[in-house]
Amino acid sequence: HPHNLKCVTHNLRRMFCAWDFFSKGRHGQTDFCYTTNELSPPVCFKTKEKRVEIPVPQRSSIVSITTNSISGTATKEYEIHKKEISFVPHTPHILSLTPDFSTSTLNLKWNDNGSVFPYGLDAFWQIQILRKEATEKVAQITYYSKLTHEDTILSWNWTSDMPLECTSHYVKIRCYINITQFVGPKDWSDWSPVEMIPGKDTEPHGSGVYPQDTVVAVGSDVTICCIHEEGQQIQRMTYGPETYPMIHLSSRSSAIRVLNASASDASGTNVVCILSEYEMDGTVLFVGYAPDTPQDLTCETANFLEIKCTWKPGRPSGLYGKRGTKYSLFERLSGKNVLCKVNEMNRDRICSFPVLADQKTYDFILNISNPIGQVQSSLLVDLTQRVHPKTPEKLTVSGNSSTSVHLHWFINGSFAEIRLLCQIEIVSGHSEQKMYNVTMWGREFSTYTAQLNMLHPYTKYQFRVRCLAADHFWKWSDWSKTEEHTTSEA
Amino acid sequence: MAAADSPSAALRRRDLCSRGIRLAGKMRSDVIDLLDAYVERQGLDASASVAVFEGVPVAAAEHWDEQTGTQRLLENLSAYRAFRSLLAQMLEEQREQLGEADAPLGQALAAVLLQVSAFTYHLEELLQLVSPGPPSEEGPGPPLPSHLSLFERKLRGLGVLRELAQWAVRSARDLRQLNKSSPGSSSAPSPAESP
Repeated sequence: HPHNLKCVTHNLRRMFCAWDFFSKGRHGQTDFCYTTNELSPPVCFKTKEKRVEIPVPQRSSIVSITTNSISGTATKEYEIHKKEISFVPHTPHILSLTPDFSTSTLNLKWNDNGSVFPYGLDAFWQIQILRKEATEKVAQITYYSKLTHEDTILSWNWTSDMPLECTSHYVKIRCYINITQFVGPKDWSDWSPVEMIPGKDTEPHGSGVYPQDTVVAVGSDVTICCIHEEGQQIQRMTYGPETYPMIHLSSRSSAIRVLNASASDASGTNVVCILSEYEMDGTVLFVGYAPDTPQDLTCETANFLEIKCTWKPGRPSGLYGKRGTKYSLFERLSGKNVLCKVNEMNRDRICSFPVLADQKTYDFILNISNPIGQVQSSLLVDLTQRVHPKTPEKLTVSGNSSTSVHLHWFINGSFAEIRLLCQIEIVSGHSEQKMYNVTMWGREFSTYTAQLNMLHPYTKYQFRVRCLAADHFWKWSDWSKTEEHTTSEA
Repeated sequence: MAAADSPSAALRRRDLCSRGIRLAGKMRSDVIDLLDAYVERQGLDASASVAVFEGVPVAAAEHWDEQTGTQRLLENLSAYRAFRSLLAQMLEEQREQLGEADAPLGQALAAVLLQVSAFTYHLEELLQLVSPGPPSEEGPGPPLPSHLSLFERKLRGLGVLRELAQWAVRSARDLRQLNKSSPGSSSAPSPAESP
């Protein structure tokens, strides 16, 4: 007799029914009949299999199985209720498994076969990552998606805790679809066939220490592996001055795990894999900080030709050379971007940006980045309010009057847009000091003049001058050099 | 020796040999200092044994005592030309990898490069005296294999400095040997041999 009849549907429309026979002997053809509802006549056909595919009934289906064997004919009839039919989704298939060795990331793509199901069902995808010939599970993740009654390619990334070169990685996936209106038991699909990304330890002459010359953030946990030829033995693996316990990955690959890595020296921390007295391999790990948020960002111009932005860098990143911090100044209104050449050894950072024709306001974004991270700082500047003139030069004093003189000085810069306030310090021989302010229209790379009256005859005076923007006080220039002059006798 | 020595040429040669010996002695002590700093700054193990990298001239010489003066000078010249380009590569890499971060090591490297260049010029001058027409410059020197990882470059740098220190000793011995074999010479002081 046939027994143990079980029916499973993968798509809610058709189902596979399978049965067993009590006796083990040879069985001839089987006559299989089924009904899909109470009104319709049974549909019959012959089969040699112990499994048939028939429609899923609306409520229940009457099934009769007649088997013919040498010991005679036996018929068994079943009524299969809908709630006895199991729902198991089709086994998913991985479309692609793509490694990104630079980021130790695997990208998985698969088709959700959503067209088979009504819109809006919840689907759960269990993804397993394995190593060691797919015997050791290193990660199991459940990914959720909604079916859209269309076939959708789903994509998912996984970042390994060790470089993908270290050993082969295997991935498989299965799914569970939550069909609330389906009354029968629901189960996970079978696992998909396994997909593999081979490690360097499978390559005939693959060897090396990985990751190669990489940068990580302080505090990271890092796995570093050493791959060697078949038959070789690793004596020890050191990280900086310390020997670390080794983790066996395969016959040609072992790793060490560094926890909470501390900042490395400028030349990086060496990871050395000692294979014998004369044979070693290694890599260099650079452990540093992401750039710190710049402090006190200010921008000013000394000559209306160039804008100088300065800031305090905050904590050093500990990364140098080509891994060092990169700076760029972006001006939103003009869209101009300038790369800054910054000397990491200076206490303050400086970046220059050209003054643009007919532009008074500047909306700066200072971008600071290194291999670990990026920060920004912004500043809106009205240039006429951020003038810090250069030191007045070539101060000369002229005049042969006994009570007045003319002062002349040059300021390197293009100040035609603003008024300048210049302050003249007058020190006479009796160490009496006076300040005299004079305001004038700025000019292009020009010499400026001021006349001082009511001086004492036949008196030795020392003069010096400094200037700033008259309408928006920002910073005085430095004082010019002092110039001496003695007024003539009365 | 190819050309018969006139008294002034012999005098000039002895002078160049003596000065060369002193140059080699100074260079050796500076290279040793640089080596210590390099090992410390690059986080290397001073006792590590380093395989010989392609392009790094090896100081050990078979049949050293059978070499002629010209052969000695030619081998020295070829070695120091190679070291000049190897050190220049190391300096370039230092700047690329560290920027301004380790200026002292960069300066020490540049100082030794200067000495190697001076010593190379000195050898060319001496070779001109001993055997007219020194070989033309042998091109840019050993290219740095681009596939070397950072760790391999560190080891290579260690190998270069170790070998250069050996060469400084050998050069002093070669020049002393050259001095002995020049007419009317008396053996010059040998700072390099002091322990």
